[in-house]
Amino acid sequence: MLHLFKYRFLQIIRDYSAMFWALAFPIILGTLFYLSFGHVGLEATGDSAWDVIKVAVLREDTSSENARAFESYLAMMEEEMLDIQDISKETEALDALNEEEIAGIYYIREEPSLTVAKNGLNESILTSLLESYNQNAAMFRKIAMTHPENLPNAVAALEDYRQATEEVSLAGKDLNPNVQYFFALVAYACLSGTFLGVKSSLDGQANLTALGARRSITPTHKLTLILIDMSVLFVIHFFNILILCLYITRVLGISLGDDIGALLLVDFMGSMIGVCMGIAIGCLTRMSLGMKMGISVLFTLFPGFLAGLMFGNMKNIIELRCPIINRINPAAVLSDAFYCMGIYNDTERFTRCLLILALMCICLLTVAFLGIRRERYDSI
Amino acid sequence: MSSSDMIRIENLVKRYQDLVALDHLTLSIQEGEIFGLLGPNGSGKTTAINCMLALLKYDKGSITVFGRNMQPDSYDIKKQIGVVMQNVAVFEQMSVQENIDYFCGLYIRDKAKRQSLVEEAIAFTGLTDYRKMRPKKLSGGLLRRLNIACGIVHKPRLIIMDEPTVAVDPQSRNKILEGIVELNRQGSTIIYTSHYMDEVEQICSRIAIIDHGRVLATGTTEELKQMIKTGETITIEAIELDDTLLAAVRGLPHVFDLTYEDRILKIRLSTARHNLVRILNFLKEHDISFGRVFSELPTLNDVFLEITGKELRD
Repeated sequence: MLHLFKYRFLQIIRDYSAMFWALAFPIILGTLFYLSFGHVGLEATGDSAWDVIKVAVLREDTSSENARAFESYLAMMEEEMLDIQDISKETEALDALNEEEIAGIYYIREEPSLTVAKNGLNESILTSLLESYNQNAAMFRKIAMTHPENLPNAVAALEDYRQATEEVSLAGKDLNPNVQYFFALVAYACLSGTFLGVKSSLDGQANLTALGARRSITPTHKLTLILIDMSVLFVIHFFNILILCLYITRVLGISLGDDIGALLLVDFMGSMIGVCMGIAIGCLTRMSLGMKMGISVLFTLFPGFLAGLMFGNMKNIIELRCPIINRINPAAVLSDAFYCMGIYNDTERFTRCLLILALMCICLLTVAFLGIRRERYDSI
Repeated sequence: MSSSDMIRIENLVKRYQDLVALDHLTLSIQEGEIFGLLGPNGSGKTTAINCMLALLKYDKGSITVFGRNMQPDSYDIKKQIGVVMQNVAVFEQMSVQENIDYFCGLYIRDKAKRQSLVEEAIAFTGLTDYRKMRPKKLSGGLLRRLNIACGIVHKPRLIIMDEPTVAVDPQSRNKILEGIVELNRQGSTIIYTSHYMDEVEQICSRIAIIDHGRVLATGTTEELKQMIKTGETITIEAIELDDTLLAAVRGLPHVFDLTYEDRILKIRLSTARHNLVRILNFLKEHDISFGRVFSELPTLNDVFLEITGKELRD
């Protein structure tokens, strides 16, 4: 059996197109993420310092209540998020903005405003700070007008929320939203083992390939061949994922968590789910190769999308609207496992993720087994 | 049917929806033969092979190999069979030697034995100089030889070759045919399917002519030729004949068919002594000039033509 394992291993790692999609493509994608985010704060599972954003604050009106509240809000954000420069004149502030010495100018007035010179991550953060303030201020104004008696409760609720938010950041780690792209990327890379699985299972199906027919008429049991293929694929894909994780952590310098054992465990289950999915799709005997590859693309990219690969907040939106999708989407479960491991230190949820993945593997292997059980074909 | 049959197929019926691919096909193949399955494309040769190998389901009939029913899990039987598929079935990513070793490993566990068998197969198929090369770098003929090496490396008792010389140059084709005869000499029974009648005629000890999924005739080449009316075909080139003369030729003894096209006269005659002399005398008597003259004994194509009413390659 070792003999068959060895040759299958050589055959698969020399299949450069399949290896490109399973290994090189996620690495390239990770590099592009890194470059597009400008690597700002990507080390944000917490151990590194957050680069605060330099801004100017111009006090045009400090008499109104709203202006004073906004000033307090900015003061609260200083040091944590903002580095407020000592600039009081608008012309100086605009010059500094043009020279890119500061990222934006906040105007303290009845209706607070912001001026930025370009689009970028820092500018987006400044905008979201202002929007966040405006939303809360509007909410309080509305409550004060309609139910003034509930205003103290609303303030208390906001305080509670703030407190709860602080409690979620466990182990002294604050999450930079951009890191979630890398969690989703690793999850996607795990699922891209599907392509390896599909291609490999074709070599066992007499109705689809000459090699499949050739291997089906040998005295080696079909299930043995599938198990050998699966073991080889798993070993290769596990190393692919380890290489990707090493690249992300060592080359790009993005921490995926400190617990190496847990990281290996997630990688293990991730590789397994990708390979199993590929073998299951590959063993659906009535479909053509093109159809199977199409389904593979769908079953890797779409879960990746739902897990936040293309749009970071997607997973959170689904969690709010239809959480069951996040429970059955392998990419989301994998991504969640990374969160539990790297951010939350939530062992219970981490274990649940691994169990869900194990259950999925069993289901997929059952599908594969049912697909190949029939060893005689209607047509070849 | 005799008890020494290595393969016995009885009343095999295989349908693809409305198309009857095998229509009550009955065959028996004995140990030590090179058995040729001769038929045009789509006649049912490959379907019959796939049923024999338990790859395809069939609607009716029975197949026994080495005296036992052939099933997908008949691993003991499969161990003794080598198959050279019509389509080359090798791994593109592995070298010649690795491919042969891989396929040998599906049959033989013992490493030392395997190594010696792989070396033998490489030498037998003349691939020694190409052992490190990947299939992509091989010519069509070499690729076919690799396909054969992968199929025969474990020295099977029965070798099934499904059109192994398709798209092969004449030189490689001859080498392949020589190799098949040698394998038979070494003790393997061979089933050889082809639509090239000259190949089948050259190497097969017994032949079944198959068309529309039915066996039309079975026997040795000589037996098959004796089954038909044609004993000789005489071809005369550059000859000018009018209808009267053509009718006169048609009326000569033993002539049962003729064609006249582009000044070439083709006369088919039943077996008789002095056919050619009789024809030449007729031409001399009528003072008819002519070019080259050929006399040919019947070929399998004549057999096929007479049995089916069409050329083998139609």
